[in-house]
Amino acid sequence: MQSQTTIHNNSIWTWLAALLAVSLTHSLTCQGATADADRVSVLEQKLDQSLQMIRELSARVHELETQAAQRGGQGAAPDAREQSGHTPPAVAAADTTQRLEAVEQTVTQLTAGAAQRSEDPGVPLHGFADVGVGNHNATFPEHKLADVGSLDFFLTPRLGAHTRALFELNFEVGDDGNVGVDLERAQIGYQFADSAMVWLGRFHTPYGYYNTAFHHGQQIATSLRRPRFLQFEDQGGVLPAHTVGAWLTGSERAGDQKLTYDLYIGNSQRITDGTLDMNNPGNAHGSTIVGGNLGLLLSGALDGLKVGVHAFTTRIEDQDRLPVIVSRVRAYGAYAAYDTDRWEHIAEFYVFSNYNLTGQTATHRSEAGFAQFGYRAGPLTPYARYERAALQQGDNFFAAQTVGSSYFREALGLRFDVDLKSALKLELAHTHDTDRDFVTYDEALIQYAIRF
Amino acid sequence: MVGRPMTVLLALLLCAGGTLAHAADLYVICNADVAISAADIRDVFLGDKQFAGAVKLTPVDNIAAQTMFLERVLKMGAAKYSVAWTKKAFREGVNPPPLEGSDAETLAYVRRTPGSCSYLTAAAANGADTHGVVVVSKF
Repeated sequence: MQSQTTIHNNSIWTWLAALLAVSLTHSLTCQGATADADRVSVLEQKLDQSLQMIRELSARVHELETQAAQRGGQGAAPDAREQSGHTPPAVAAADTTQRLEAVEQTVTQLTAGAAQRSEDPGVPLHGFADVGVGNHNATFPEHKLADVGSLDFFLTPRLGAHTRALFELNFEVGDDGNVGVDLERAQIGYQFADSAMVWLGRFHTPYGYYNTAFHHGQQIATSLRRPRFLQFEDQGGVLPAHTVGAWLTGSERAGDQKLTYDLYIGNSQRITDGTLDMNNPGNAHGSTIVGGNLGLLLSGALDGLKVGVHAFTTRIEDQDRLPVIVSRVRAYGAYAAYDTDRWEHIAEFYVFSNYNLTGQTATHRSEAGFAQFGYRAGPLTPYARYERAALQQGDNFFAAQTVGSSYFREALGLRFDVDLKSALKLELAHTHDTDRDFVTYDEALIQYAIRF
Repeated sequence: MVGRPMTVLLALLLCAGGTLAHAADLYVICNADVAISAADIRDVFLGDKQFAGAVKLTPVDNIAAQTMFLERVLKMGAAKYSVAWTKKAFREGVNPPPLEGSDAETLAYVRRTPGSCSYLTAAAANGADTHGVVVVSKF
């Protein structure tokens, strides 16, 4: 998949350096302006709504005063009307009261309608997008120069007090250059309380920390990309990043600390075309993935620190082989994430103890993990990451996956927050595959990521 | 749900004039059906606490006092607050608080919306019609 190469093309490096310099210069001058503009835009919208309401109410008040004045003029000659037998005074008073009540009701409805309009802005649509350039593609290193990362939309419709829904649609360019569309998440849930929520559908498998914390949200992640072994299934990840099933999650205060938990069960995955597939429609044999995650959010001197443990087991069919090879995958591990105004450190460790269910009974132990350290200095966040995966190639679960090789990667990066919703990232990385084809490559990558 | 003592407390806090309230004060208020403590405010406005008993909570931001609220109560800036809610929405499907444009709009919203909580500046709180809301805490 990857040629063994170190880039010496001066023109590419010159081009990258120039692009970065121009981008940073422009970004520094513009930082803050967009945030102010957003705030002003919101204020203007609110002001327009208020002015519209005032105009409507003023018009109604003016109409009311006009009508009252007219009635006063008419009431100046009651005797004449009474003498003519048209309208007695009591009837006129009742009519006026009725009209006033109708006007009052109208004004109330106008006000309520205006309020309702401001409270129901429709279905919230959010999203992320990123583009990049480098001497390699950040995801598919056999490609070079500029690339489109992904365009990710997620919807969080406002439903009832207990029902919640989340839909995420992602457009991304594959290895073959085609744009693929994935329904990344389609989950509908019922919240019983803060301590218990049940989701049904397709969700991010809640193992470790990174997979649910960032996933496609590249703009909210400090680093330029995910650890390689935690990539998405169709981008080289060796873990089932998505599950279709049921997920019970919640949190509970324990003094100043907070306990979080996740329990999930869903369709077991399969391997097809060298890639993990989460079996969206279900699977033929009814086997499941079952897992859990237990976390603790600390407080006081350790405020911002979350530690946890997780485990899952699943039955994976390798459908690229005939007869089909079935593996029992058992994974467990621990993680820690320290997220404060100044620091962001993340570490995760996974152990696999897998065995073949079709004949061979030996258990294969593999390991993977990463540690990332970041320091937030205003808009700049330098970071460093080391990741390593030692995956037994005698284990068909890894051997059957296209990017199931062992490797280590060292990376140094710099994130620059251009404004509140966009970030420019630079990463220099060295990667070495420690089995299969033993390739080594160095990368210089730039990414522009936004959220909206 | 909220008894007369809370109403009396509210009246004392909001209507006692300049001796109790001055321009720098900030009041966190909730609809009268909400029973939360001052210790819950941070969790409510960061989406970590969504229920008070059987009542679904609806935090509401007041743009007229948001900066003061973020600094004094949540101890964070507007940027971090925005990022926190982006992460919350992305990870859990929870929507960020709606934004009201003034103290008067905020007070009206909280009064008519069950489960809602927000905050007012002292200038707005003084002499305001406090029917239908309770004060959770003063900052």
